[in-house]
Amino acid sequence: MAAPYPPKPIRIWVTPPGPNPWKAVFLFEELGLNYELKPFRFDDVKKKPFIDVNPNGRTPAIEDPNTNLTLWESGAIYQYVIEVYDKENRLAYDSFHERHLCNQWLHFQMSGQGPYWGQAGWFQHLHHEKIPSAVERYCNEIRRVLGVIERVLADKPADAQWLVGNKMTFADMAWLPWNFRLSEVMLLSWDEVWEGLPHVRAWHEKMAALPSWQRCIEIRGRLMEAQGLQWNGVPKGIETFTEYEKKIAEGEDTTALQH
Amino acid sequence: MTEAKSDIHLYTDQTANGIKISMLLEELGVPYKVTAIDISKNTQKEPWFLEINPNGRIPALTDTFTDGSPIRLFESGSIMQYLVDRYDTEHKVSYPRGTREYWEVNNWLFWQMGGLGPMQGQANHFARYAPEKIQYAIDRYQNETRRLYRVMETQLSKSTSGYLVGDKCTVADLACWGWVAGSNWAGVSLDDFPHLNAWLDRVLARPGVERGRHVPKKHTALENRHKTEEEMDKEAGKTRAWVQQSMAADAKK
Ligand SMILES: N[C@@H](CCC(=O)N[C@@H](CS)C(=O)NCC(=O)O)C(=O)O
Ligand SMILES: N[C@@H](CCC(=O)N[C@@H](CS)C(=O)NCC(=O)O)C(=O)O
Repeated sequence: MAAPYPPKPIRIWVTPPGPNPWKAVFLFEELGLNYELKPFRFDDVKKKPFIDVNPNGRTPAIEDPNTNLTLWESGAIYQYVIEVYDKENRLAYDSFHERHLCNQWLHFQMSGQGPYWGQAGWFQHLHHEKIPSAVERYCNEIRRVLGVIERVLADKPADAQWLVGNKMTFADMAWLPWNFRLSEVMLLSWDEVWEGLPHVRAWHEKMAALPSWQRCIEIRGRLMEAQGLQWNGVPKGIETFTEYEKKIAEGEDTTALQH
Repeated sequence: MTEAKSDIHLYTDQTANGIKISMLLEELGVPYKVTAIDISKNTQKEPWFLEINPNGRIPALTDTFTDGSPIRLFESGSIMQYLVDRYDTEHKVSYPRGTREYWEVNNWLFWQMGGLGPMQGQANHFARYAPEKIQYAIDRYQNETRRLYRVMETQLSKSTSGYLVGDKCTVADLACWGWVAGSNWAGVSLDDFPHLNAWLDRVLARPGVERGRHVPKKHTALENRHKTEEEMDKEAGKTRAWVQQSMAADAKK
């Protein structure tokens, strides 16, 4: 077994339910980097000690003792990890052109996928009243964005079904964790989700089958279990997300409710 | 280092995302050509534009690459990273690759791209453009925008330079500026954010920002500070029709 790289483990702060922390873990797993998870409860994202790590109170955030750097925002974490720890460009390119195109797709994921998939999921599952026009707004945007990727992939040769060049890069990987939740977010079967999107589907499924991603799912499952969470991130014993938020605001210990 | 020759062509409209790029180009003093896109006429959905940005949004930019072939870029954050990487060799508004400040600037840039922009954009949508007034949705996005302003306010209150990262104005500040300048349009007041207000003026006082914010036409967002809700609602009327048509068109795809 090779010596761990980097020498000291990079700490990743994760709250298990959401996709964004797993986006970071996916990259660490795929590169085989030395990391340690710091799982904590959603109840504590807007509290110390976490807000001293990320003043924005969102996961993921990383602390790298090798460089003495703390960083948050999954996109910034991606660029950092790739530049500092993917020296052989396994998941990136060193040519200027491709480097910027990868960053372009990463920015598109950050601004065009994450926020909108997130809003769709919120109105579909977590908000206590049904607002059909809001669900529809965000589901339409999801369809539009997936359509953009479909056209881009469809225009590329069969042996280069990746966003940039002819291999998987971090720019592709960034899209997986949220897309992995699409069936749930849109309340559709997978066949319905992928209707009219054959290239996106193949691209997605190739990544979802990677051992690195399978490990993420397995670890997530264990952490969800350990924290006593239901599929939607709400602790067992609590009915709705609204109720959960209320208990957090009132400073109630939501772990106690599980017994 | 040989001086990089630029052949920059910016496709843009007068919006918070568009002026990020013109303000940056002016700060860098790099020459560029501009094509004004009228997003309300859906020029950004025409085939020639989709060749540059398959996502059909402004800003987009083309340049001649060092090897003589063209490069096309979209997403304002990525365009900003490209421009400083290639043209800010003196680090006027950026930090050298690999430094702590370099990564922190990136952190705030992504925070703007994945947080402030989309959330304030949703506040604009539900407060000004949506076909029906959904109070819950208006509150949700205005509250989130306010929370994000608070995060920025706290960061600025700890800053000795008055900018988000390190000792100077960087692309992180330029990326956020147009959005904060448009706070009133989103229905969020800056009254409780003294550091943010001071920062808004500090950035505005920069000659490059002043030139760049009026591309491709006059920047008027700051004038909304003196308008009433009713006046802004009335103005939104024109755009409302366009937004709703676009929504209907997208739904059919
Ligand atoms: N733009 C951020 C988004 C991070 C994010 O929203 N994380 C969620 C978990 S998936 C979170 O921490 N939510 C806490 C909250 O909403 O209070 C990124 O990509 O890192
Ligand atoms: N994340 C993108 C967002 C770009 C964006 O939404 N641009 C708006 C103007 S600010 C646009 O072009 N809208 C036209 C449309 O939606 O058709 C970026 O920062 O470049």
